Formats: sequence, C-alpha cells, structure tokens
Amino acid sequence: MIEVGELSKIFSSGRGAKRQSIAAVRDISFSIDPGERVAFIGPNGAGKSTSIKILTGILHPTGGTASVLGYTPWTDRRKLAARIGTLFGQRSMLWSELTPLASYRMLAAIYDLSRDEERTRVGELAELLDANDLLNVPVRSLSLGQRMRCELAACMLHRPEILFLDEPTIGLDLLAKQRFRELLLRVNDEQGTTIFLTSHDVADIEHVARRAIVINHGSVIYDDEVASMRRSLLSEKVIEVALISSIPPVTLPGVSVIEHSDTAMKITVDTSITSVRAALDVLLDGPAVSDITVVDPPLESVIARIYELPRTPQ
Amino acid sequence: MSAVAGVLRASWVTLSTSSRHSSVQRGGLFVKALFYAMVFSIIASLWRAAAAANGGSVAGYSARQLMWYIAMSEAVTISMNSRLLADVGTDIVSGAVSVEMLRPRSVLAQRVLREIGRVQPGLLVCTLTGMAVSWIVVGPPISFSALALSFPSLVLAVTCNIAGHHLFASLAFWLRETGATWFIYQKFVFMLGGMLLPLEVLPSWLRQFALLTPFPSMAYIPARLGSGHVEPWLLVVQLGWLAALLAAAAIGFRAGERRLQVVGG
Repeated sequence: MIEVGELSKIFSSGRGAKRQSIAAVRDISFSIDPGERVAFIGPNGAGKSTSIKILTGILHPTGGTASVLGYTPWTDRRKLAARIGTLFGQRSMLWSELTPLASYRMLAAIYDLSRDEERTRVGELAELLDANDLLNVPVRSLSLGQRMRCELAACMLHRPEILFLDEPTIGLDLLAKQRFRELLLRVNDEQGTTIFLTSHDVADIEHVARRAIVINHGSVIYDDEVASMRRSLLSEKVIEVALISSIPPVTLPGVSVIEHSDTAMKITVDTSITSVRAALDVLLDGPAVSDITVVDPPLESVIARIYELPRTPQ
Repeated sequence: MSAVAGVLRASWVTLSTSSRHSSVQRGGLFVKALFYAMVFSIIASLWRAAAAANGGSVAGYSARQLMWYIAMSEAVTISMNSRLLADVGTDIVSGAVSVEMLRPRSVLAQRVLREIGRVQPGLLVCTLTGMAVSWIVVGPPISFSALALSFPSLVLAVTCNIAGHHLFASLAFWLRETGATWFIYQKFVFMLGGMLLPLEVLPSWLRQFALLTPFPSMAYIPARLGSGHVEPWLLVVQLGWLAALLAAAAIGFRAGERRLQVVGG
C-alpha cells in the first residue's frame, strides 16, 4: 500500500558561495500494509511533516522512490488525492465562512460523489462523529474539538483508503483527544482504513498505533510494534512498593531508588544487571511490604530514549 | 460520470455554494450597497459638475451617460474583494495553499470559481442600486440594447479581475510577498481600467496603451456598454482577455506549485 525506498529531501537556499543545504529526510525506507495503524514519530525538525508532504504529493523528493496505492505521489498527485484523506491539525481543510454541510457539498463534488452518495456519506459520518448538531454552524464558530470532528468527516467523505494525519489532536482537550482516538480506531476497524499518524502526544501513539516508525535527523531509527518498544529498547522495570513500616533502601547493582518514604518506595531495575526476581526477593524478605507492583516505564521515557539514540552515519 | 461531467458538476457546485453563502449575508450586502451608493453618488456628482462646466459633456460622454458609466464601473469595483490579490498571496506564502493541493482538482480553478460565486450577489445588489439611482437622477438608460449587453459584460469584468488578481498573486510563489504587487495592480485597474474615468478622457497615447492591456476589460467595457454604446464586439475582447488571463494564471500557479514542491511547502 505504501512503499518507500531510500527517500531523501534536501532543502537548498541561497546562491553561489552562500548556498546552504539542509537534509530534511535522509534515505528513509519502510513499507506499510493495508489496514495498518502506524505512528510516524520523531522530535521537532526530524523530517516527519516533510515525509508526509512527499507521500501526499505536495513535495518532490531529492532522491529515492515512493509508491502510495500504486501511484508516485509527486507525479500523480491529483489521482492519489482522490483515494487518500489528509488531516493537518494546524491547517483547516474546511472553508471557515461556510458551514460544514456546505463544505461537504463542495468536497463531495470535488471528489465526484453523486448527490445520493453525498447524502448517505454525510449521514453516516455525522452519526459516527456525533456531529449532526454541528453541520449547519459556520466553521469559524465551532470550537477546536468540534471543528476537528468536522475536519475528520471532511477527509473521510470520499472513503479514502489511507488517512494521513499530521498532529490531528494538537490543541484538543483530554476528552476531545480521547474521543478522537476512539473514532480513528472505529474507522480503522469498520472500514479497514490505513492510518498513518504523526503526533507528539504519546497517548495518541499508545492508543491508536499498532506500529511505530521513529525518525530523527531525517533517518528512520526505529520501526517495530508499539507494544514491543518498551521491551526491546529499555531493559528497565519499575517496582512500586507500599510499606507497612519503614525499610532500608534496596542496594543492589543496577537498582536505583526513585522515591522512598516510610510508607512507599519506588525503584527502577536494570534487568541486564539484576533480575526483577532478585530485587523482589530483597524487598519481600521481611514483613514490611503490604503491596507490590511491577510495571514497564512510561512510553514517553521509551520514546525519549529513542530520540537520544546517536545519529546513524550517512 | 465522465471526467468532463465531473469537472462541470464540481465547478457548478463550487460556484453556486459560494454564491448562495454570500447571498445570505444580508448585513454585508446592505453595507456594500450603502457604500456603493455613497461612492457612486460622489463620483457621479463630480462628473456631472465637470460635464456642466464643459458645455454638457466630457470626452464625448453626456452627463447622463457619465452617470450610467460610473454606475457600472463602480458596481464592478465595489462588488470585488479589493484585497483578493493580497489574500491569495498570503495563502501562498503561509503554505495554506498546499492544503488545496491535496484535492483532486486544480487549485486555481477551485479558487477562481469560489471567488466568482462569492462576488455575484454583491454585483447584483450594486448594479441594481446603481441602475435605480441613475434612473431616478438622470432618467432611463440611453440604450436598452447596450444595457442588456452590459449585464454579461459585468460578469466577465469581475471574472477577468479575479483572474488578474490570481495571476499577479502567483508571483508570491517566488517573491514571498505581495504588498507591492497588490498596490501596483490596484493602480493599474484604477487608471488603465477606466474605473474612475472613461478612457476617452486620457491622453491619446495613454488610452492606446491602456487598450493594449487587460485592465479595460475589468471596468471600462461594461461601463461603456452601460453608458449607451451598442458595441457587442467588446464582449469578444473581454472573452479574449479572460482566456489569456486564466491561461497565464494557470501557468503561474502550475510553475508556482512545482516550485513549492521543489523548495518546500
């Protein structure tokens, strides 16, 4: 469905001796199958948006190949546009002076939907997104959360096979984000739509994506299941202990105490040095422990660790 | 649905949706009509005074013809978004235009059609206001045949102007700024377009020069027809300039989008 081979993009500015070149994307390669939910993540300036712009045909790459639904995006931009949906959290796809319904009418015509298809689709999406009450309100009068629901409907109107979402939850409150993520899962589940998502919000990645491709300094530095990110990248476990009475801190190699009080202790265990079992043995050797929990470190830490990985020489 | 039918339907829906939206903005239309009536009255009074001081006519136009001339030229001008060029330029520079590149239709066609639809209700209101005021103040049109010709000419005039705005705005793909371009364009429409004064008032060399540019198609031609000159061939001139402006704007946008693709959104 999406095949990317050694894709690169160099931005140049200035002339002659003052000419400067910045490699925004460096020889990235990956492929995505139909129905996948992929998070394409990286720190600011890593090359995420540039990559999305190349894959949707807005930008020409400097080198490499890409095929999206069998099209070369930058040469078949309009044909590809008819089969993909795009949502940029920081740019509106709707016309601010029109109502969402009027915008959908124009978009349906642009995407060659008949009047019957348009009515059916708008009805389905309004139901799915709980947006019936918003259809006749001018876009400029909608709250950000309401607008984003309408934006999602707009980019799904023509039943796209792939959704490219660039920071779709930026600026939304917690409830709106949660609702948005649930919608994406439903769309993926019910319609088999492939989701290609960039976001700085770890919860978006955790709840929506099954696979993560991490890009930094323009290169892919990680590509694997989200669920296995912690396991493969951090040999670290967190143990949280509730105490009946005070105990001395655990002093084992590879164990760090994060919090320690008379009633609780939180430690991290580097499992490449000391096993969780060995740490538990020390903690449970006595009557002081009332409860114990072993957890993976938060995904945020894992991603931060990935971002710190050294740059691969090109 | 065939490709041509699809394009036609998309064009019609874009145009009619924009027009319908614009027509329900009653407050905006009322203010536009009021502003038009004010500007029209002032300029028409000046011309009528000039004609009276000049033995009843100026450059071959009677006071009555001048009133009808200004009614039409101002209707075209005031119904337009005079900052359209700057607005389109800002969308190009900010990258907002890249969002429109994600739709399976021409960015320029979508924008031009939307703007044509948006202008129509204002054009209708201003034209009707101008006709009513002119009829009351100086009497009925000089020629009903010429007046009938002026109606399609008014639509062609705003369409030429919209195409011109987009052509000049496409320079923003390279210049990254449209303030100066907008200023120059406005002055060309004012002076060479015959918006404030009939081209016959200009010195011969300047009139000849103006007639070689597309600007008379944006105001002078509908105004000349509205002032009683039965010259149907002027519509052909407008159609020719419209085709040329749209073609040039299409080339500008295509090259600009390509540049955007190469240097970055």
